[in-house]
Amino acid sequence: MSFIETEERRALRAAVAELGAKYGSSYYVEKARSGQKTDELWAEAGRLGYLGVNVPEEYGGGGGGIGDLAAVCEELAAAGCPLLLMVVSPAICATIIARSGTEGQREHWLPRFADGSVKMAFAITEPDAGSNAHRITTTARRDGDGWVLSGQKTFISGVDEADAVLFVARTEDQKGNLRPSLFIVPTGAEGFTHTPIDMEIVSPEKQFICHLDDVRLPYDALVGDEDGGLLQLFAGLNPERIMASAMGAGIGRLALGKAVDYAKDRQVFKAPIGAHQGVAHPLAAAKIELELARLMGQKAAWLYDGGDDMGAGEAANMAKYATAEAAIHCVDQAIQTHGGNGLTTEYGVGMLAGVVRLMRIAPVSREMILNFVAQHSLGLPKSY
Amino acid sequence: MNIVVLVKQVPDTESPRKLKSDDSTLDRAAADGVINELDEYAIEEALKIKEAHGGEVTVLTMGPAKATDSIRKALAMGADKAVHLVDDGLAGSDALQTSYAIQQALGRTGFDIVILGSESTDARTGVLAAMLSERLGVPQITLANKVEIDGSAIKAQRVTDYGYDRVEATLPAVVSVVEKINEPRYPSFKGIMAAKKKPVETLGLGDAGIDAAQVGLANAATEVVDFADAPARAQGQIVTDEGDGGAKIAEFLASKKFV
Repeated sequence: MSFIETEERRALRAAVAELGAKYGSSYYVEKARSGQKTDELWAEAGRLGYLGVNVPEEYGGGGGGIGDLAAVCEELAAAGCPLLLMVVSPAICATIIARSGTEGQREHWLPRFADGSVKMAFAITEPDAGSNAHRITTTARRDGDGWVLSGQKTFISGVDEADAVLFVARTEDQKGNLRPSLFIVPTGAEGFTHTPIDMEIVSPEKQFICHLDDVRLPYDALVGDEDGGLLQLFAGLNPERIMASAMGAGIGRLALGKAVDYAKDRQVFKAPIGAHQGVAHPLAAAKIELELARLMGQKAAWLYDGGDDMGAGEAANMAKYATAEAAIHCVDQAIQTHGGNGLTTEYGVGMLAGVVRLMRIAPVSREMILNFVAQHSLGLPKSY
Repeated sequence: MNIVVLVKQVPDTESPRKLKSDDSTLDRAAADGVINELDEYAIEEALKIKEAHGGEVTVLTMGPAKATDSIRKALAMGADKAVHLVDDGLAGSDALQTSYAIQQALGRTGFDIVILGSESTDARTGVLAAMLSERLGVPQITLANKVEIDGSAIKAQRVTDYGYDRVEATLPAVVSVVEKINEPRYPSFKGIMAAKKKPVETLGLGDAGIDAAQVGLANAATEVVDFADAPARAQGQIVTDEGDGGAKIAEFLASKKFV
């Protein structure tokens, strides 16, 4: 057993960190503030195979695991470029298609996930079905050889830059608990519209409400079985949590790094402020929280890549919880260390507050993780 | 085409660099090792020549065991194999001795073209290419910012204070490059995964036919007599614009040879 990543994983981190440094915070923030996308970085990372590290080799991917993809996501975030769609497109969608898709779907999509030339968004949340996925009402009905989809989704990331969206729906004869069916819907499909939601978050990736108004799809828009159920869905949700954890870890590192640089340099009384324990100790505590959270994220990835979906589920939830909390503390303490500068645009610290705060809510809320741990890890009665 | 690229591991330029107090040699343990920046351009040029003309790129590194990390990165970028010259007897060698040791190692690899960065960020002597070509008895093309191979001829643009010279030589040759020559690639994920399987031959003094009496700190032709920490960065010069600000900026840039 080893807590040290492999030589290849470390080399991957170093290479991605170098690419991230070429772009950096200023690139990311400029794109976000001017309403543009991080297309250049996405394309270059894709060409280098970094966005497809987890896609099977026979489809042109790197043949690695979610642990490799998480390393890519973390390093880019730590360099100031958290790519939200990495959590969605290669982690959720490519994983689900690789594990549950038909051979035709794999051949069509996976090579393009491998080089990042395609982006697929993922739509599960509905206005009345957020944490309670069993209340999903987006419905698919058979129509001749194909399907007709109707419904509404909200808080869907990156629809404007995606080629297609993977929708979680239920077939019309299904009642009660969700046996989800997954459908790939091209963003240009007739009857499919999306509307941006204004958010208080500095990010090039936008959030959308999606409307499906009798969208006609061919039969092979369905991924896996009609009611292939929760397993094929959860195949994609563990990677989502692992990736969210990695992105949080990267942002935490970014904030902590800025705080440490500032604390070494900034002098108010006789010594740099980092010499004062009132400044140093909270940063040290944040560092400890962050490293513990990263370790749980790596464990979750390791379990998942080893095929232990159940074990990975618990670890991925814990990692997602812990990393969100650690990232919030890192950013909060970084702001405090910077004083007034912490909330200036120039120092680039305050603008991280929104995104790490979001991580306590999405992709799964702190409270739902505590419910999961209380019920499944501790064996307490279900509370809801 | 047998292309050999010389890759040196140097302390990360972002971390403070130190000499050891006991023998005045570089403290390589004090900082992370990275590929000397200009050598990355040499690797890129070697790979481009291979892509255009075929052949094989061999990385040749002289340095301690931890230089393996830099060798792996060069292999991940796309080099085919590596030779690592590593021996405690080489520690503290100066440029003259290094050129001898590399000459001996090149005797094992053979070469049509040897490419290296024009200087290293640690020692910054910038003389290895010249010494090596003298020892090997082949033409040297230094400070190249453009290289073309045409049969057995090599044509290059060589950076000078006044622009560049066009120079031409016959292969085999030694070429040192500057950063304007290309943009080094990042290792791809597949490159990283493949690097571990690529052959790295480790040579000691005896394997490379290096005479121990001609290398190492004790036998060096040069000696570090004294050293001191670099002075703290001085306050920048402030120029008040009295209508001639533009001219003063141009004057400053010209004095530093930026324009």
